[in-house]
Amino acid sequence: MIHFKNAAPVKIKGVGGGLWISLDPSRPEDLLITEVDKIFKKLKHLAVNASVVIDMGDAPGHEDLFALVKTRLIEKFEVGRVTSPPKKQSVPTQRIRQRDLFKGWNHHRSDVLMLRGRVRSGQKIDTRRHVVIFGDVNPGAEILAGGDIIVLGRLSGKVHAGNPENETAIVFALAFDPTSIKIGTITAAGSEETSHAMPEFACVKNKSILVQDYMKTNPFKKMPWPEAV
Amino acid sequence: MEGKIIVVTSGKGGVGKTTATSSIGAALALEGNRVAIVDMDIGLRNLDVVMGLENRIVFNIVDVVQDRCKIEQAAIRDRRIENLFLIPASQSDNKDVLTTAGIERIAKQLRSKFDYIIMDSPAGIERGFENSVVSADEALVICTPDVSAVRDADRVIGLLYARSLSPKLIVNRIEPARVMRGEMLSHEDVLEVLSIDLVGLVPMDEKVLISSNTGTPLVLQTDSKAGAAFRQIARRLNGEADLPIEMPVYKTSMWQKISKTFGLKQ
Repeated sequence: MIHFKNAAPVKIKGVGGGLWISLDPSRPEDLLITEVDKIFKKLKHLAVNASVVIDMGDAPGHEDLFALVKTRLIEKFEVGRVTSPPKKQSVPTQRIRQRDLFKGWNHHRSDVLMLRGRVRSGQKIDTRRHVVIFGDVNPGAEILAGGDIIVLGRLSGKVHAGNPENETAIVFALAFDPTSIKIGTITAAGSEETSHAMPEFACVKNKSILVQDYMKTNPFKKMPWPEAV
Repeated sequence: MEGKIIVVTSGKGGVGKTTATSSIGAALALEGNRVAIVDMDIGLRNLDVVMGLENRIVFNIVDVVQDRCKIEQAAIRDRRIENLFLIPASQSDNKDVLTTAGIERIAKQLRSKFDYIIMDSPAGIERGFENSVVSADEALVICTPDVSAVRDADRVIGLLYARSLSPKLIVNRIEPARVMRGEMLSHEDVLEVLSIDLVGLVPMDEKVLISSNTGTPLVLQTDSKAGAAFRQIARRLNGEADLPIEMPVYKTSMWQKISKTFGLKQ
């Protein structure tokens, strides 16, 4: 008969290139140590130089027990290496990565306002989402976005990204020449030089707005996988 | 056939709306159309002076809208050009005396009596502008190659699009010499920002001032470059849409010398 409530306090299994020990930290320390000893005695020379992972579940605060078991295994049974199990990735990160595998973006609801055409003087686009504009933003036009502002054309108007206080937002334009720019709570005036025809982007660095050449400092270069926004 | 109401507007003042209205109206009449020019700038009446008809005014557009007279009584016939009529603005009222409903009612009557009705809109985007565009079938936006005029024209174009009008652009007062020296925006720069159909380019011309002050139609002056440009615009509006648009060019003294040598016109 199997007693689930009294499941073994120490379990062992072989994984990859080593051994995986599961300890139940709610049991008394002495019991755990004797159980570990019992198992490793049976292993005899198999334990020598082995790589051992001690898994004590998700519960935190058992560093002392871990250290105790670790020294005991190394000194008494001559195991090669004792480690804790690799940290699990956070659920959102895992989910984002899995989107690529499972084509998660097929049923992703977009958080982007995408517009096509010219935004003229006196027109104001105000949204809590990201904004992508295929077209020019004329002088006198205004764009307010909760997230990023991407202009695939000439940006000559006034923009406020990350409204009201998201300072991680960026502003990007193929021809970057805004009259004024605000990201989160930080404001900057446009450049005095006219006819910037360069793809540039603006972001917040050290509490001020930094405008950089997009081709030289692509802010997305270091992102290893595509992320849906 | 029903007539067409064309509104001439710009947003900014002083860019040549009134000159353009009177010139295009006169040129359309010269093409054989029955044309009414309506001054919508209530309180700041100008068009009658530019057309030299100020001392013949009895009734005005406010009288027509408020049913104090008939359109025929308010419309002043031009002496020099047949089929050209002016319906003047009132100088003593303000823009609030007219309502959009009143304008729409009159627009119907005007369409039945004329081939083209050219409305001279006041500067600004308030009541006067609203009244001018409410019953328009087409819109002409006048813009000079100045940064401020371009921005105002841009605003007006947005407002016209919002009323399902697709405006056409006239770039006025181009000075090719200044464009060459980089002191002035070129018409290409203006078009790049405004991106609407271009219907004509009008060069800077001193004759405009003389013509306005003496009340003689610009289009009747054979040696006026601006007058010629407005005649071309009128032809384009009158169905010759494919008529090529002439670029105002700056002739250097070198070129002028060569032209003279070969007996060409300057």
